[in-house]
Amino acid sequence: MAKEILSRGVTRRAVLGGMAGVAALSIAGRVSAAGGEAPALAQLAKDGKLPPLAERLPKKPMVVTPFEKVGTYGGSLRRGLRGSSDHNGILRMVGNQSLVRWNLDFTAVQPNLAERWEVSDDATQFTFHLIEGVRWSDGHPFTADDVVFAIEDCVKNTELYSSTPAQLAVAGKPVTVEKIDDYTVKFTFAAANALYLENLATPLGQHPTLFPKHYCSQFLPKYNPNIEADAKKAGVTSWTELFRSRCGDIEIPSRWGNVDKPTLDPWVVKEPYAGGATRVVMTRNPYFWQVDTEGNQLPYIDEINFGISQDVESLMLNVISGKIDIQERHISVLANKPTLSKNMEKGDYRLLTLVPSASQQCQIYFNITHKDPAMRKMFADKSFRQALSIGINRQELIDIVYFGQSEPYQAGPRPTHPWYNETYARQFTEFDADKAGAMLDEAGYKKGGDGFRLRPDGQKVFFSIDVIPTLYPDLVDALELVKAHWAQIGVDMKVNTIERALYYTRGDDNAHDAAVWPGPGGLDPMLDPRDFFAFHPQGSRYAIPWTLWYTSNGARGEEPPESQKKRMKLFDEARSTADLDKRGAIMKQIFDIAAEEFETVGLCLAVGGFGIIRNNLRNVPEKEPDSWSWPNPGPAMPQQFTFTS
Amino acid sequence: MLVFIAKRFLWMIPSLFAVSFLAFVLIQLPPGDYVTTYIATLAASNEIVDQNTAAQLRERFGLGDPMLVQYFKWIWGILTRGDFGISFEWQQPVSDLIWERMALTLVLALSTLMATWAIALPIGVYSAVRKYSIGDYFFTAFTFFGLAVPSFLLALVLMYVAAVEFGQDVGGLFSPEYENASWSFAKMVDLFSHLWLPVIILAVSSTASLIRVMRANMLDELPKPYVTTARAKGLSEFRLLMKYPLMIALNPFISTIAWLLPNLISGSVVVAIVLNLPTAAPLLLQALMAQDMYLAGAFVLLICALTLIGSLISDILLALVDPRIRLE
Repeated sequence: MAKEILSRGVTRRAVLGGMAGVAALSIAGRVSAAGGEAPALAQLAKDGKLPPLAERLPKKPMVVTPFEKVGTYGGSLRRGLRGSSDHNGILRMVGNQSLVRWNLDFTAVQPNLAERWEVSDDATQFTFHLIEGVRWSDGHPFTADDVVFAIEDCVKNTELYSSTPAQLAVAGKPVTVEKIDDYTVKFTFAAANALYLENLATPLGQHPTLFPKHYCSQFLPKYNPNIEADAKKAGVTSWTELFRSRCGDIEIPSRWGNVDKPTLDPWVVKEPYAGGATRVVMTRNPYFWQVDTEGNQLPYIDEINFGISQDVESLMLNVISGKIDIQERHISVLANKPTLSKNMEKGDYRLLTLVPSASQQCQIYFNITHKDPAMRKMFADKSFRQALSIGINRQELIDIVYFGQSEPYQAGPRPTHPWYNETYARQFTEFDADKAGAMLDEAGYKKGGDGFRLRPDGQKVFFSIDVIPTLYPDLVDALELVKAHWAQIGVDMKVNTIERALYYTRGDDNAHDAAVWPGPGGLDPMLDPRDFFAFHPQGSRYAIPWTLWYTSNGARGEEPPESQKKRMKLFDEARSTADLDKRGAIMKQIFDIAAEEFETVGLCLAVGGFGIIRNNLRNVPEKEPDSWSWPNPGPAMPQQFTFTS
Repeated sequence: MLVFIAKRFLWMIPSLFAVSFLAFVLIQLPPGDYVTTYIATLAASNEIVDQNTAAQLRERFGLGDPMLVQYFKWIWGILTRGDFGISFEWQQPVSDLIWERMALTLVLALSTLMATWAIALPIGVYSAVRKYSIGDYFFTAFTFFGLAVPSFLLALVLMYVAAVEFGQDVGGLFSPEYENASWSFAKMVDLFSHLWLPVIILAVSSTASLIRVMRANMLDELPKPYVTTARAKGLSEFRLLMKYPLMIALNPFISTIAWLLPNLISGSVVVAIVLNLPTAAPLLLQALMAQDMYLAGAFVLLICALTLIGSLISDILLALVDPRIRLE
């Protein structure tokens, strides 16, 4: 792989998406004859407890090229979860089987359960051709009916989902899914949805393949008139609760809490993720529909064992003593790196490099829409923000807090990204306390008697920055340094360390002076543009009321200024532009405007995380993107990971 | 005596109501609700919850209801159906989650209690009787050490040594093969082979303080005239000690039985988290942090009930042991 995983825009149009699938299928012919399977399954098939392999696999199974070499069957992979609400730790490892998936470089969408697709020119219609003969983990065929059921009966059921998930609705109207034949489905959106394939490859795009009709239909009133009675018998208050506890949803623990629910994943739940569980065990899916280049059914590894640690330190201890086979989640903070590097031999592991998909390690969001008019005036003053930005000694901060592993940065796509905008990324990052002071003087914030500046209304220039210490301890350290730098130019700031629920409530109420958060959009600028304009109702913390205005189509919030409205319009245009070059041109306009407006103050480029891989675990790429949209390590296909001995 | 016990039982009912209400209010006091915390937890890994989903969750959990309504719905379910509600986080009935955890907590608490007493009582008596002897100094030094070292630190150090130096499997209360097995004799044996480490860690600090209490109490009793009289009458030194001064010195031990349980549960939170013990403490802490209020509420309610029962037991025992305490 290249020095840093290059992204030519995650938005690469996958009109030719079928290509890889076609290439794969051409070898599939010779493959299905040779095919091997795990010894335990072969035994079951021999005993007649399981159909023979040929009947379990699709006629033309999807062929996966192993990362290093064809593997051997067996072994139990150990990985750690942390306490409760870590269900996405499981999702990232096994639950990645959507209609399409990301390639390893996070640059293009590839076929998965859909072997090819067509997109209409106006990007409103998507026709997917499913692989024929794929089976759910209980042996039941997976067909177009399942996809139609999942969207039309489940996701669009207003009792289950009081509003349709954002991915599946455009222009306020939900998608329509129709069956063309058993293996063809057509998705029709009310307006252009050019990003749909990319969205479909992210975890939130899993709905179409999440609910098996033959199993989940028993929990819907439409198919089961006695559902309310069944719910009572199961001890829950309503059928919707029963549905959720049995069939789950993308992001809730109960998705992994029911051993009976059929899935399309390489491993299925054996010991569930239930309340009070101390571990989760998943065992191979005998009907998994992918094979390697020699026709052997995947996955290679028999079992995944997720130990649940309450405490990161005990997880670290397990890693050091070699009791974890692959782990990056929870341990990937920079502070752990020396310990993990030192113990590589003892724990018999190698290090895994994570390429951040984020842009900014620490973005400072001054609340430009502050409730207090005087504060609002101050934060909305562009030269005030610029002065504060050049009043920060970023190099010192990088050396002390981030061990020198970063560079001064404001915002925008990462330097390797084709849409990288030099001005947006680097302006006002040079440290110049004198100039900062002069700019503040000129903007009307003169120094008072105690060396601190005063606002024109005579109040001291003072504000607090909200930060969550338990979540991002490094941001607290960074802010403490920034506080010292700003004190030199006469600006008083309080590092407001608060609990995370309070952080969110303050943001939702627009009650914060300023807040910090890592800035996303480094490799995936289309998926989370929250720093480029007021896009995210919880994340664009410099102007929450503006984002409300945007997301509610003007019904709520506060009308933003022209430059914001222009960017919102441009982004909507980019979202419905199928041509990647044209889309890039539109996005570049957004970055130019954002650079001119300078709404957020960034500190430094997001620093890469890391993880560990045990030396006997092979076929694992040692460099992968780190992102929720590319839910590492899932797109690296753990089903082709293998143990050497 | 029976009347007294009956009266105490009756008093326990309003106390439980008051406590459960307070617990419910306290759990709800922090800003935000379960959904806020849920979103925040996911955001910690930069994961995104769909805006619509958040709104739906609030609606589904009835988080829009006023607190009093939520409380009465909850308590009514417990009284009429033994239904503690549904855990938001797990989408499972709370009663499925709490009982095994509570049972393991009791096992751990009682084992620790017995270990503490078994060590503290003889040592306390010894260092009182042999005041200022080498043994007394040794144990005194030990007690100060035990009091000074935080138990979670002790746990971490022991775990590090066991895992890194000896390659032992540490943490948890069961070996992997028994973790999710149903209860059997072999599983009990496995439990006790894992129990000693947390018991020792938890016992160290409480033993230390109990030794001091015991020593001081005995020193109070030993010079009293009745001891001299008994000794003058030729009672053997051992019987003399056991029969009178010890009984009286036990008084503070017995009267604190009621606090032991909540103390062990709250005091062991950090240790249980570090050692990954499947007891009530970590689940309670998580439930509190996630504002999973029915789950947290059920735990608090049970712990309070146990405290009340404990204090009843200690009152009865006191009356039996200490002749100076009599009820009418």
